[in-house]
Amino acid sequence: MTATATARRPVAPKPLWKRFELYLLLVLVIYPFFPFLDQAISAISGEQLRLDRQLVNIMIFAILALALNLQVGYAGLLQLGIAAFFAIGAFTTGVVSVEKYPFQFGFWGSIIMAPIVAGVAGLLLGAPTVRLKGDYLAIVTLGFGEVVRVVTLNLDAITDGPRGLSPIPSPWIPPDLAAGLGDVAKQSHFVTMYFVALIVLIALVAVFTLMERSRAGRAFVALREDELASACMGLNPAKTKLAAFAVGAAIAGFAGALYATNLQTTAEPNTYDFNYSIIVLCCVIIGGLGSLRGVLLGVGVLITFDSVLSPVLTKLIQKGVGASDNVFLSLTNWKLMIFGLALILTMRYKPEGLWPSARVKAELHEGTGGDK
Amino acid sequence: MSEPLLSLSAVHTSYGNIEALHGIDLVVYPGEIVCLIGANGAGKTTTLMSISGCVKTRSGTIRFDGKDITQMPSDRIVRLGLAQSPEGRKIFPRLTVLENLEMGAFIRDDKAGIAADIERVIALFPILGERRHQAGGTLSGGEQQMLAVGRAMMSRPKLLLLDEPSLGLAPLIVLKIFEVIKTLNAEGTTILLVEQNARMALRHSHRGYVLETGAITMADKADVLLADPRVQAAYLGEGDH
Repeated sequence: MTATATARRPVAPKPLWKRFELYLLLVLVIYPFFPFLDQAISAISGEQLRLDRQLVNIMIFAILALALNLQVGYAGLLQLGIAAFFAIGAFTTGVVSVEKYPFQFGFWGSIIMAPIVAGVAGLLLGAPTVRLKGDYLAIVTLGFGEVVRVVTLNLDAITDGPRGLSPIPSPWIPPDLAAGLGDVAKQSHFVTMYFVALIVLIALVAVFTLMERSRAGRAFVALREDELASACMGLNPAKTKLAAFAVGAAIAGFAGALYATNLQTTAEPNTYDFNYSIIVLCCVIIGGLGSLRGVLLGVGVLITFDSVLSPVLTKLIQKGVGASDNVFLSLTNWKLMIFGLALILTMRYKPEGLWPSARVKAELHEGTGGDK
Repeated sequence: MSEPLLSLSAVHTSYGNIEALHGIDLVVYPGEIVCLIGANGAGKTTTLMSISGCVKTRSGTIRFDGKDITQMPSDRIVRLGLAQSPEGRKIFPRLTVLENLEMGAFIRDDKAGIAADIERVIALFPILGERRHQAGGTLSGGEQQMLAVGRAMMSRPKLLLLDEPSLGLAPLIVLKIFEVIKTLNAEGTTILLVEQNARMALRHSHRGYVLETGAITMADKADVLLADPRVQAAYLGEGDH
């Protein structure tokens, strides 16, 4: 044994109290109790934002992005139809909880049903297709995404077509707990959703962090590097990829359940279109494919821009120019172009993403052994 | 002798319409080192890949340790105790040396046993211990080969398939690798070896097979093959070095 044997990784991890994630987390936990930020934004720009509601959206988006990261970043499966599984989760939630149907499982039932249905859909789509190489899988998943959208749009008898299923009831929480929350309980829907989304997101990040350091995490790296050698180690490449694809689909379905419950409607099927899949993929790639912190950063930057910064800036610009209804001055209308430009610039100047994991960085800078 | 650990009978393997193996018969008994020699393109690697399940055979049967493994997927074959160190080393360049070894033990979950076996590999190849936190891709060719052999040992195989362990290595490193092969064999691992370096392979093996364009043309004790004029002319070259 040599001296180097003591440290598993060359750099020892920082102690918990020195890590800024912890403070970010604290801010997120106490945030809903401080609505004064909304008032400040409203005073400056005149835009009535509910930041806590936007944060619920951002966190749901982050859960969806982590699901896609499992498929694309870890397993190396280029998937262009993540919105399909998101939609399946949302509509499953609708079917098991709206009044029209006899099930009425409520929110807690739907967050069990939605991942199961989406996971099975992932399994069925993945079983014949995960063996396909890169581009072909991308084409299949792209097609699947459109098929799901068009089917939900036209399956009027089940999905209520373009109207979507609504109203989806709020999560049921024990009356004692609600009473204990006092004032907060009055706006209980968004507060409950806020904490459910936060807890799920933290749990997912914890699970993925543990997984990266485990046997399964190594297996994914090995699989991306060399399928034949992985098979020689007793790893079944097809099964491993299929598992990642199905679990990713299930998590996306879970995010869909949260999304629909948060909105209290499944929204119209066209919400879950190809653009939606691409925006999630943009977040993952710009942040850093295969990097947990990168994906969270990507979602943080892009979706915060989309849901917080862009409406505020739009208000400010329109106020400055004095034209409040000019469509060219609304940043939201430029969203896809801005995201596309960001993606191109990232690919050109920082292909590993804004905040990559050391390993993926090394994979993209061939031959440097991760030093660069 | 006892029951063979591995036996191939009339194994045919094709790539598309081109048949690479025209009916291979081969046996390996427990405790042996058997080598398979032949020219480029003779089908040596294809034979190993057929055994390990990485390439599907068209007909014939392969039995390992009393079980028919002919159509078995490769990951299940590894679990039966048959490990392969593929041609061209195929280590995982971005995983560290330790992680490469841990990948070799992918089918096991006894942490203490895995740690002990890592130490065993490092005892055999001390340089791997010094480089344990380095990415596999930063090792020299010889070190990578040591890592590939060490990684294949990590699944504690009954039978180890080694594909060209001497390929592209300096003579001293080749000697070192063969020493370790001997040691492993003495500790009870049966070895089937594919080699271009026929002299080295035959000297360290009990028996040998000569493969020519997809068929076995000679099979005998290693020293008999070493002395055979046809083998000398075709695979050992002139003189002794």
